[in-house]
Amino acid sequence: MIKVKDLHFKYPRNESNTINGIDFEIKEGEIFGFLGPSGAGKSTTQKILMKLLREYKGEIEYRGKPLASYGDEFYQDIGVSFEMPISFSKLTALENLEFFKNLYKNTVDVEPLLKQVGLWDDRDKKAGEYSKGMKIRLNFVRALLNDPKFLCLDEPTNGIDPANARIMKDMIRDFRNKGGTVFLTSHIMSDMDELCDRVAFIADGKLREMDSPRNLKIKYGKRSVKVEYRENGELLTQEFSMAEIKTPVFCDLLRDKEIETLHSGETTLEEIFIKVTGVALRA
Amino acid sequence: MPRLTVLVKGEFDRLNKYNLFSANFVVLLFWVLLSWFLEGEVLRTFLPVIFLMDSVMMTVLLVGATLFYEKKEHTINSIMISPVTENEYLLSKIIVNVLNSMITVLFISVAVYIIKGVTYNYLVLVPAVMIVTVVHTLIGIRFSYSAKDFTSLLVNFIVYAFLFLMPSVFAALGIISAEVARYLILLPPEASSILISAGFQDVELMKILFGYGYLAVLALLIYRYAVKPKFNEYLMKETGV
Repeated sequence: MIKVKDLHFKYPRNESNTINGIDFEIKEGEIFGFLGPSGAGKSTTQKILMKLLREYKGEIEYRGKPLASYGDEFYQDIGVSFEMPISFSKLTALENLEFFKNLYKNTVDVEPLLKQVGLWDDRDKKAGEYSKGMKIRLNFVRALLNDPKFLCLDEPTNGIDPANARIMKDMIRDFRNKGGTVFLTSHIMSDMDELCDRVAFIADGKLREMDSPRNLKIKYGKRSVKVEYRENGELLTQEFSMAEIKTPVFCDLLRDKEIETLHSGETTLEEIFIKVTGVALRA
Repeated sequence: MPRLTVLVKGEFDRLNKYNLFSANFVVLLFWVLLSWFLEGEVLRTFLPVIFLMDSVMMTVLLVGATLFYEKKEHTINSIMISPVTENEYLLSKIIVNVLNSMITVLFISVAVYIIKGVTYNYLVLVPAVMIVTVVHTLIGIRFSYSAKDFTSLLVNFIVYAFLFLMPSVFAALGIISAEVARYLILLPPEASSILISAGFQDVELMKILFGYGYLAVLALLIYRYAVKPKFNEYLMKETGV
């Protein structure tokens, strides 16, 4: 759906490039994530794909045509949810949505969406009276107003309580399952791990690695099993590599000892990110 | 509904909800109250000043206030990721301010007719107020994009007023001699003042034609070379890091 080749971008007032020659492809019907610390270039890349930043170098194709060749019809196709709350504070949630809805040719009924994100009962409340989490959920509904094919989400669950974050993640997955494509940027590793079909690690404006979370874990993760067991009343721990679990030592331990816990030593995406880029995610 | 209509309607809704209409209405009442105490020729001299102040000062302040809120609430980001074009967005600001100035013309005209029985040439006044408002909406947008906050917008406007508007107001009140005032036509507010005063008194046709031509060209130049580049820069700053 989107192909990016040798993308560079520099903000006019910055001395160095924010994006330094990145290449990637977002396939139709996938959730593609950009994982990186603040200032790594995630949001900038997203804004370039949304045609908000136009003075870039490199090639970007959307559905086989250069992105720059698209006019206003491009925006009929895409939905965007920004990280910061965006709404007219003195208008109610419904008035906000109604205003934006009228700017599009194709729109959806907002009632089921507001109900899904838990804002229907507060639809007539002014957006300025909403909490940050409610404003972010309103952003998300606004992103879905025009029945988009391509959804750009910037930190979609940041500042949202776990229960509502779960609902939003389910909605993102539903969108993908119905054929939609999602470009997700976040520094929250668990969201990326849970949602993304593929993730790209970005640091200092460069892509350092790109694959499915599972493949990255296999490639960079520590593949081991940790066993906690009791012996003579004392709690002991022993770690086995994947090759060792077929050996009699491991099997004997399971059979003869009082096992308390058994964990696979799966490495988190965050640990892999640090290993690959040398940069901490919450930097 | 065409997008431009949606933008204009939305802008009017927000002017109402953000109480900017109410503030404007208070100013209108103030003008009417002042008119109440004036009589005859003094009132006829004062009325063009009201329309000049409204289409220049109130226009700049009103567009500044709406852009200030858009900046504060980041709503410009959301508008620009919709099919709305830059031209539609900027044009909607111009249309809303022109309509607002027309409301002022209607309100003041009806009020002074009712309380004083004063009439003037509305057919000359209306197009004059329209073009003056267009130019000053663009100037207001330009000021807003280079202002950090509403206070610095006010400072920009005060500087502009002292440099360009006050000589025009002095000329309209007869404080500046007619000889000196002839050369003030090159100042946008003075060209504005001449066009507006044509609704109340005889003005040389050449001055009127020059005034319209000058303000029309000025509006196009400001739009092309001052507003649009600054709009793109502003958008990058708003949406960037």
